[in-house]
Amino acid sequence: MDDFTYHAPATVAEALALRAEGGGAARYLAGGSDLLLAMQRAEPPVARVIDLKGIAALREIRVAADGGVALGAAVTMAAIERHAHLLAHYPALVAAAAAVGGPPIRNRATVGGNVCNASPAADTSPVLLALGARAVIAGGGGERELPLAELWSGPGRLTLLDGELLTAVRLPALPPRTGCGFQRLTRAAMDIALVSAAAVCTLDRGDRITAAACALGAVAPTVLAVAGLGAALAGSRADAGTLARVEHLAAAAARPIDDHRASAAYRREMAGVMARRAMAEACDRARATSGGAA
Amino acid sequence: MKIPLRVTVNGVPREDLVEARTSLLTYLREQCDLTGAKRACEEGECGCCSVLLDGTQVTACLVFAIEAQGRHVTTVEGLSEPQLLNALQQAFAENGASQCGFCIPGMLMSATTLLERNGSPSEAEIRRAISGNLCRCTGYDRIVAAIGAAAAQRRNAKG
Ligand SMILES: Cc1cc2nc3c(=O)[nH]c(=O)nc-3n(C[C@H](O)[C@H](O)[C@H](O)COP(=O)(O)OP(=O)(O)OC[C@H]3O[C@@H](n4cnc5c(N)ncnc54)[C@H](O)[C@@H]3O)c2cc1C
Ligand code: FES
Ligand code: FES
Repeated sequence: MDDFTYHAPATVAEALALRAEGGGAARYLAGGSDLLLAMQRAEPPVARVIDLKGIAALREIRVAADGGVALGAAVTMAAIERHAHLLAHYPALVAAAAAVGGPPIRNRATVGGNVCNASPAADTSPVLLALGARAVIAGGGGERELPLAELWSGPGRLTLLDGELLTAVRLPALPPRTGCGFQRLTRAAMDIALVSAAAVCTLDRGDRITAAACALGAVAPTVLAVAGLGAALAGSRADAGTLARVEHLAAAAARPIDDHRASAAYRREMAGVMARRAMAEACDRARATSGGAA
Repeated sequence: MKIPLRVTVNGVPREDLVEARTSLLTYLREQCDLTGAKRACEEGECGCCSVLLDGTQVTACLVFAIEAQGRHVTTVEGLSEPQLLNALQQAFAENGASQCGFCIPGMLMSATTLLERNGSPSEAEIRRAISGNLCRCTGYDRIVAAIGAAAAQRRNAKG
């Protein structure tokens, strides 16, 4: 007899209780676009799925008064693509969401699932990391928050404690004259990124960089922030020389492997190129923002 | 464990018992005898199993049947009256857009979704709308042409 069960809780508290009761054979289900494939080889077999889509709070995109955003974990890529505030202020996140799979996948795939699947190639993750996003986590002991980078411990591995649930991803408000960019290398539609990069930068009125960050996808066991990049660029003009430094720093930070899709050397070189292009895009957008116009 | 499922499929309310594990695709094909949605990759890659769930396109192989509880499902069989083709399907036929036909139900669901939102899609928009559908026969050009023709025809009909 098949004792596999499906549950559709209406609240986070119910979801946590169902997960605790189900133990190691229980999984949270969002869009299922990773989980349903993973279930085919899961050991021990998955015996219970807890569908998060019926929890209204997890499907909300809340814009704070300062312009920061809390993305509910079960917000779909399609919802991100259509959201006016995200389009206006976080266009790199919209571009990353729009790059996930084809339309039917984007109607199901959620940002929480993308982050919690912990693939180094997950498209929204580099953007969220570069933006300085934080993970809001619910568990038996209440709610806690941590920087997104501290959520991933390896490919497919999270630092979440058993049964904990990601409820939201919090994007900080962006200072005036801040832009973001996302670049991704693939062969064709529906392909997972060979390399991806996201960049964020803030410019002063003289076009000098006051803050910058860059994150890389598919070149390390987890999505990776380029360490020291902000300090290295601070005070520099957003020009070709600075962009060349971004390329160099990103290529040096990458820790890629050879696989059937690309060689490590190619991935390293392309990590630099994608990072440079993402930063160029971020700088252009920073100049184009109205906030504190020169 | 079998669970009662109440769902409206192509406008017809149904009540069935399903295993929790059963996919929406298996339910539609094996319990509803609707074989328009095709079973191919079962990994979300090919789009052959596309259906509309409350009007939103999904790949039915990656959805549990039980997720359709209380909701509306539309399959390719629900796009037109039996034995008749709607204007979009007619445009596929007239443009030679179908060869073996296996991908066509999924293509029609993608095209239906596109045309509901966008009455005059560009070629790039059409190609993006079907980017989740694989076709091993046609090379896509005639499918793109058929969708463009259906959109044009709809605009003309509206005057
Ligand atoms: C055909 C196809 C193409 C794809 N293309 C891309 C692509 O181009 N780019 C890309 O990045 N991804 C791609 N993916 C992978 C997948 O669609 C994304 O990673 C998606 O965002 C996963 O979200 P989901 O809601 O479907 O997650 P699910 O499959 O529901 O969940 C994924 C994992 O996260 C856990 N989980 C989900 N939500 C939570 C939560 N709130 N708290 C704790 N744990 C949670 C689940 O238990 C599961 O282990 C593709 C998948 C398919 C099938
Ligand atoms: S069978 Fe569902 S997408 Fe291929
Ligand atoms: S017509 Fe044969 S797969 Fe498309």
